[in-house]
Amino acid sequence: MDLRALAGVMLATSSAFAQAPAPQVIQRGADVYERNCSPCHGARMQDPQGAFDLRKFPHNERERFIAAVARGKNQMPAWGGMLKPEDIEALWAYVVSAESLYGH
Amino acid sequence: MKRYEWALALLVAGTASAQTLDELKADGQLSDALKTDNVLTYGMGYHLQRYSPLTQINRNTIKRLVPVWNVSLDNNWGEQAQPLVYNGVMYVTNARHTVAIDVGTGKQIWKHTLDWPNDTPRVVCCGVSNKGAALYNGRVYRTTLDAQVLALDAKTGKEIWKTKVGEWTDGISLTLAPLIANGVLIIGNSGAEFGVRGFIDGYDPDTGKQLWRRYTIPARGEKGNETWPQNNNAWEVGGGSAWITGSYDPQLDLIYWGTGNPAPWASQSRAGDNLYTSSVLAMRPKTGEIVWHYQFTPNDAYDYDACWELILAELKVAGKPRKVLMQLNRNGFLYVLDRTNGQLISAKPYEKVNWASQVDMKTGRPVETEIAKSIRDMKATEHWPSTRGGKNWQHAAFNPNTGLLYANTLHEGRMYRHLETKPFEKGQRYQFIENLPLPRAAGEPVGHIEAIDPLTAEKKWRVPLTDFQIWSAMLASGDLLFTGKETGEFIALDAATGKQLWQFQTGSGINAMPVTYTYKGQQYVTVLSGIGGLYWNINREALKDRVPQGGSVWTFALLPE
Repeated sequence: MDLRALAGVMLATSSAFAQAPAPQVIQRGADVYERNCSPCHGARMQDPQGAFDLRKFPHNERERFIAAVARGKNQMPAWGGMLKPEDIEALWAYVVSAESLYGH
Repeated sequence: MKRYEWALALLVAGTASAQTLDELKADGQLSDALKTDNVLTYGMGYHLQRYSPLTQINRNTIKRLVPVWNVSLDNNWGEQAQPLVYNGVMYVTNARHTVAIDVGTGKQIWKHTLDWPNDTPRVVCCGVSNKGAALYNGRVYRTTLDAQVLALDAKTGKEIWKTKVGEWTDGISLTLAPLIANGVLIIGNSGAEFGVRGFIDGYDPDTGKQLWRRYTIPARGEKGNETWPQNNNAWEVGGGSAWITGSYDPQLDLIYWGTGNPAPWASQSRAGDNLYTSSVLAMRPKTGEIVWHYQFTPNDAYDYDACWELILAELKVAGKPRKVLMQLNRNGFLYVLDRTNGQLISAKPYEKVNWASQVDMKTGRPVETEIAKSIRDMKATEHWPSTRGGKNWQHAAFNPNTGLLYANTLHEGRMYRHLETKPFEKGQRYQFIENLPLPRAAGEPVGHIEAIDPLTAEKKWRVPLTDFQIWSAMLASGDLLFTGKETGEFIALDAATGKQLWQFQTGSGINAMPVTYTYKGQQYVTVLSGIGGLYWNINREALKDRVPQGGSVWTFALLPE
């Protein structure tokens, strides 16, 4: 394999990886979650007695997640007035990483 | 008619339309002039005993107790309030509405609707709710989720004044019923979970003008501030909410107000006792002056609010009658204090406690254990009672004839851990803890309904709860106890044994405070149904397919024989 081919493989691999959130984004999501979301959705999403079990949120419904957090849904208040759009994106990154972080 | 007769007639007419301070003082007092037609105060009397001597509905007649009317409250946020009744009109609140209802017919007379911003609930830690109104001088007073106090005309529901107490975006909210004491309208804030510095305020009921504000955390230079670090601003964001209505002793002219947990829950940044958090304050209603204080949990690291009902009674202590104040504190101890001076009389554990071994009767301070040290060292630790407490806010009742407290207690430990605290951010959560469930042995109760001796904390009887641990507030009514379940059953128990004698399935879950009163000589019982608030926060996933939402008022009376 020549270098040009190798570079092409690496490019393909890294763009595939671009689908997965960067660790620092996940960490930002974890921080926002720990402070504002864990009181209802449970520490590390482990004990969701009072709210939706986020471990079960479908990973292909990003828009629904973003809208629910920003505008509120049922008993969940709207967070769009306080959290920045990048915070909510980071929360999404954290939520879709639950399985790899906590193994469920 | 002679002039003085005219004056008398006017006086009588005046009292009929607008209740007075004397009527407020007499509410729930066991005197000859007992007026059981009215329920004028939160707690069914300034003493917060939630006791009625009425006996028409008793263990023999209870089988004839049936609903006589039901009014929808058009609300899905949950019903927690205690209704008030004056001259045949009932006043009910929830987070959205204030409603006046004709007691005789169940017809709605007027309704006032609030409109708070849709994102307000994010600064409400534990469920959107309202616990009731205050009545005084022809007006209905209430608090709002977005931190305002409102006066409405009792006849029409028209707004008379509205006073902004604080900025809800700072994390300040109001859910409690106001207290009218010595002519002053008194409220306290919610918001310790958002680092709000707690306060208790006095307002002029006529105008809504603020008369005084007493922060529950003294400022720099004030007595008590030395119990906070002097090298950081922890005291300014230190919590100590005051979110449950206090009691009042008109003879001593003292109000007794419980204060909430310090913020953040994780205690690293706030070394010291953190006065006056997790305490009781005895205050002058006219000025807000603190006459004495007692701190139940110094440097509280466990969310051990001291906001629960501070019940006033006379108890025989070592053969001598004492004016006492009692509290089933969240920290697992049952406290009895001399309410004239704050002296500790008794503090016995009423539930499993592992963070402290006892309360030192000389110093009045809890003796913390290795468990407490482990929690403060930020290790995940099995902790009893959990942060929800040996009892949560569902108010206990006290029967002065039996001398017993009747309460819903919680039997729950949790794996509790302090996290590293982060800088304060206005309007955001300020807690920094993890609190995960522990495995539970099969058949181990999650809580109890029980009759407790205040001085020994011994149980006269206890009924174990195995499904949902939190029931509604208790009402001691003659030889009965009324309470309700999250699953909607309104229940009467035999106060002597705890045996269930009667139940009625209401349309939603019960989190509210039952009351009893008379109307045209007949005894009535009323309770609100409507799941919501903290209880739903705890059990929403378990209950959502079993218990429908929707608030309503249920009123019961005896069918004729």
